[in-house]
Amino acid sequence: MKQRTPNLLIVDDELHVRESLGHWFSEDGYEVSTASSGKEALAILGRQHFDVVITDIKMPGMDGIELQRHIHETDPDVAVLVITAYASVSTAVQALKEGAYDYMVKPFDPEELSRVVEKACEKIRLAEENVALKQQIVSAAPKFVIGKSREMQRVMELVESVAATDATVLVRGESGTGKELVARLIHTHSPRAFGPLVAVNCGALPEGLLESELFGHEKGSFTGAAGQRKGKLELADGGTLFLDEIGEIPAKVQVELLRALEDHKITRVGGTQEIKIDFRVICATNRNLEEAVREGTFREDLYYRINVFEIDIPPLRERPEDILLIAEHFLTKFSSAMGRRVTGLSPSARVLMLKYQWPGNVREHTNTIERALVVCREEEIEPQHLPILTRSTSQDGGDPDDLSMQAIERSHILRVLKLNEFNVTHTAKALEIDRVTLYNKMRKYKIERPTG
Amino acid sequence: MSPSWQVELVAIGSVTPSVLAHLREGLAGILACPVWIATLHVDPKPFFDPRRRQYAAHSILEHLLNPPPNEAVHRIGVTELDLFLPVFTHVFGAAQLGGPVAVASLHRLRPEFDGSLPDVLRMHQRLLKEVLHELGHTLALVHCRVPWCAMGASRLPEHVDLKDSSFCNPCADRIGIQKMDLE
Repeated sequence: MKQRTPNLLIVDDELHVRESLGHWFSEDGYEVSTASSGKEALAILGRQHFDVVITDIKMPGMDGIELQRHIHETDPDVAVLVITAYASVSTAVQALKEGAYDYMVKPFDPEELSRVVEKACEKIRLAEENVALKQQIVSAAPKFVIGKSREMQRVMELVESVAATDATVLVRGESGTGKELVARLIHTHSPRAFGPLVAVNCGALPEGLLESELFGHEKGSFTGAAGQRKGKLELADGGTLFLDEIGEIPAKVQVELLRALEDHKITRVGGTQEIKIDFRVICATNRNLEEAVREGTFREDLYYRINVFEIDIPPLRERPEDILLIAEHFLTKFSSAMGRRVTGLSPSARVLMLKYQWPGNVREHTNTIERALVVCREEEIEPQHLPILTRSTSQDGGDPDDLSMQAIERSHILRVLKLNEFNVTHTAKALEIDRVTLYNKMRKYKIERPTG
Repeated sequence: MSPSWQVELVAIGSVTPSVLAHLREGLAGILACPVWIATLHVDPKPFFDPRRRQYAAHSILEHLLNPPPNEAVHRIGVTELDLFLPVFTHVFGAAQLGGPVAVASLHRLRPEFDGSLPDVLRMHQRLLKEVLHELGHTLALVHCRVPWCAMGASRLPEHVDLKDSSFCNPCADRIGIQKMDLE
C-alpha cells in the first residue's frame, strides 16, 4: 500500500509562526497550508481534508478550542495539536478533554514537535489501514448459506436475529450440514466480527490435551509443557469461540468449561492466576444432547448453559429444492477454479441428484460435484459422472434406518410436496393419485404444510 | 558534471578561520563547484534577542538577502552563535526552501555542548553536513528518508553523525550534481 503525503493546516494569527512552522514542515515533506484565523481555517477545511491541524489557542474571534470543537463536529478523525505561548494547566486539560491530540507550549523543541506530528500522522495512517483491512475482512466473509428452501430461509432469519446479541448459540444438525459455516455467519454478522473466531473440535482431542488446548498451560505443568501457552479461550478474547462437537467433551472438561462460560474467567493448567476473558460462545453438535443428559454422559447444567438459542440445520434430504441450487453454485465455483467448460447438469443427472438421500449432506454434495467435474469430459454432467449416486439411489425412501414401506411412502410424498412447494394439485398429479388420496395420506403420515 | 550554481560562505559574527577553511575545502570537494568565503563579516548584534539570549535565524536570513546574491549563487551564513526561530527553542540552521540564502550554526554541534569531550574532526564533519543540508533546502530539496543522506532530518547532533557528507543518488540527481559513489 503506497503511503500518501500527510497534509497539515497551521492556524495562527501571527505571521512569523505560520511561516516558521510552514517552512519547517514543508522541509519535512508534508503538504502544508496556513490560515490566520479560526474562520479562515474552517473555510479551508470545508474544501479540503487535513490529517493534522496545528492551532494556536489565543486568536482574535474564534479561539483554538472552539475551532477544534467545530473541526471534530464534522470530522472527528482530524488530529488537532493545540499550541500556545501561555502555559496553563487548565487550558491544556480543557483542550485534551475536548479531544485534542496533544498540547504544546511555544517555543517548541524542534525534535519534540516533529515527533508529535509524526506520531499523529502514523496514528492516522494506521487507522486508515485498519479501516481498509476491516473492509477486506467484510468482503471476504461468507454472506449467506446457499438455499432457497423455507427451512434454510428460516435458518438465515435466526442467524440474523441472534448475531447482533451476545447470546450463546447451539447449532444442531447432521454431519456435513454446514454447522461451522452458520457459526462463521453469526460471527461475521456480530459486533465481534473484527475480533478472532477461534474454532475447537472437542471430539478430536483426548481429555488431557483438550484441557490444555482450551485453557492453556503454564511452563512445566505437565510432561512436555516446555513453555507457557495460551489456550483457545484466551485467544478468543474479544471475539467468538466455536466449540464443534460439544457432545464429545469429556466429563472433567465439562465442569471446567461450565465454570469458564459462567464466569468468563479461566485458570491455565498448572497455573494459579485467574484470567478474565471476553468471548461469545457458539457450540455445535450432531448428537442428541437431551439423550446424553438422560444417560448422564453430558452435564445438565452445561446443557442449559449452551442451549440458550438453538439453530437446527435440516439435512439436505429434507429440503430437496436446495439440491440443484447447491449443485449449480459449486459447479460454477469449481469449473472456474479447474478451468473446465462444464455448463450444467443433464436432465437425468438432475433426477439422480434429487432422488439421492445425501446422508453426508452438503459436504457430500460438494465433494460429489468436485469429483464429477474431475472426470467429466462433456459439456454437461451425466449420471456416469455420479457413480456414488447411481449405486445408492436404490436406498431411496426416508430415514435410512427405517426400511418399512410406510416410512418410504411418507418420505417420498414429503419430497414431492416440497418439490412442488406444497401445491397439493401439482403433487397429486406428479404422484399419479387424486387429491383426496393425497390429503388422506398426508393426514395419516402427519405431514403438514409449513407455516410462514 | 559540475553544478550550474556556486556557494558563498558568509561569517556571522566571529568564526574561527580554520572552521571556515575546512568547510570551504569540504564543500568544494563534494560539490565540485566554486565555493568561496566572503570577505565581509556580518555583525550579529541586531539579531540578538536579550530575552532568549539567542540569535534570530529568520532575521539573519532576511539580512543575507540584502543585497540579493547574484543568480546561481547560494549564500550560506555560518556562525558559532546559538540560533532560534520564534516558535522553536533552537535550530541548527535555517534556509529559504528554494531560495538563495541559508544559515548554519556550530553552537550546538560542538561535541562539548552536551558534555562530551571536544572533538575537532567530528565538529568539522557535523558543520559540513549541516551546511550541505541547508544548501539542499535552498536547492528546493525536502527531507530525505535515506538514513545516510545529508538531507535526512536531524533533530539531535547524534543524528548528524549518522549521516554521510553527501547526498543520496536521487537527491544528487535532483540538484544536478555528480552521483556519489555508493561505496
